[in-house]
Amino acid sequence: MKKLLFLLLAVYAISFTVQPLSAGENTQNKHVEITSKKVSHHQAKSISEMFSNFYRTTGIYAFLNPKDNVTNALGEPLSKFAQGWGRVIMISITFLLFYLAIAKGFEPLLLLPIAFGGLLANIPLANIIGHEGFLGVLFESGIKNELFPLIIFMGVGAMTDFGPLLAHPKTALLGAAAQFGIFASLVGAVTLSQYTSWFDFSLQDASAISIIGGADGPTSIFVASKLAPDLMGAIAVAAYSYMALVPIIQPPIMRFFTTVEERKIKMEQLREVGKMEKLLFPLTVVMLSILILPESTPLIGAFTFGNFARVSGVVDRLSDTMQNSLINIVTIFLGLAVGSKLAAEKFLVVETLGILAIGLVAFAVGTAAGVIMAKIMNKFSKTPINPLIGSAGVSAVPMAARVSNKEGMKADPTNMLLMHAMGPNVAGVIGSAVAAGVLLSIFK
Amino acid sequence: MELNLVTEGLKFMVLGMATVFSFLILMVIILHFQAKIINKFFPQKVVSTPSRASSTQKSSTQKDDKALVAAITAAITTFKNSKS
Repeated sequence: MKKLLFLLLAVYAISFTVQPLSAGENTQNKHVEITSKKVSHHQAKSISEMFSNFYRTTGIYAFLNPKDNVTNALGEPLSKFAQGWGRVIMISITFLLFYLAIAKGFEPLLLLPIAFGGLLANIPLANIIGHEGFLGVLFESGIKNELFPLIIFMGVGAMTDFGPLLAHPKTALLGAAAQFGIFASLVGAVTLSQYTSWFDFSLQDASAISIIGGADGPTSIFVASKLAPDLMGAIAVAAYSYMALVPIIQPPIMRFFTTVEERKIKMEQLREVGKMEKLLFPLTVVMLSILILPESTPLIGAFTFGNFARVSGVVDRLSDTMQNSLINIVTIFLGLAVGSKLAAEKFLVVETLGILAIGLVAFAVGTAAGVIMAKIMNKFSKTPINPLIGSAGVSAVPMAARVSNKEGMKADPTNMLLMHAMGPNVAGVIGSAVAAGVLLSIFK
Repeated sequence: MELNLVTEGLKFMVLGMATVFSFLILMVIILHFQAKIINKFFPQKVVSTPSRASSTQKSSTQKDDKALVAAITAAITTFKNSKS
């Protein structure tokens, strides 16, 4: 009996040592190297040696003992700071993002995956963001080639009801005016890099940063992946955090530019919009973008496709998938992959501060421009227009519209602006996609 | 830098805002006329527009089922006849 057991064990032992070798032979060279190294290096060690060797593979050791001349998983050089304190700081930042997402409810659907991706990206030695790490694979399969933002846009299109815009098409101009934030902050960003030595943004970088003012996460990522891939992490985080901060950033600006009487203005009830109009709308928009700005057709095309599936009424299963399961799956991937750009060596640079500041300015200027445009339209329009709906022209659907509604109710509790604000709000999505197309076409 | 970034930025701004506005103004104009044309030639039937297929499926009455059954029986009989 004992003999038999011994034999079995011996067979096991042999098969174990042989298996990795034979497996290695079949796969690529790289693999062989790794496995053979492991096998050849395994010698008898004392228990203290084993522990000290193990200690060298722990995160504690990696945090405490940053080395010179280390490259990260993508082959870029890593400073000592980025390996040690930088990672600790970034991990605390991701914890702060968790707090904001969970306790404060700031865009948790995106902030949470992004923050967790950031946490994973800062793990030493694991190389999760490398070409073979799972975040790296996600990044390359969906963000580098701009796939994920487009799928998100499709889902947003399927979720959007253009009824309020169709009922009152003029409000689309507010969505155009609010894009002023993008271009004003672009000028601001290049001025900063021209006349100060703090930042050195190229025109491409400045364009990618200023699109944050469009308050549209997918558009920001889409543009950043084309124009400034290095800055994407900071841009995405800024875009989504400012979208989440809409209820805090916008109201003071809205109140500053309006009087109480203006805020009390009641708007006429919107007319009912027929199915035919809704059905033709996505086609109209996509035809316009084909004619005027083919560069924005990936974004607008995906958006209108989603919407067309919704309003057609015959592919409810598809539109349902786009609005729910598909957009959820892609949100997970997108969040994690964007989070991979929160690695210390990418994020803890002075440019990040610039991006956060310029993004905020873009957002604020966009809000102000929308409100001012609404005031001008109110002067010339036959039907009254409450200037508060102007701020909804920055996209951030439906948050910005809700803010307009809330501010209107504060001035007059019976004043319901939500539906009126949805018009500029969805026009803002189109507007920022057009703005993105313009910026991309310049650098074509 | 030889290139003056600020003037470049201002040019971007002019081009960008002009494009965004002309795109959306054009859209507003088209939508305006579209709405007029549609409401003229296809006036709305306000009540009977069940847009969602799921709701139409639910609301399909027994009468529809009978028609369906009739159609299927007819098909089967013709199929049998053609075979024999």
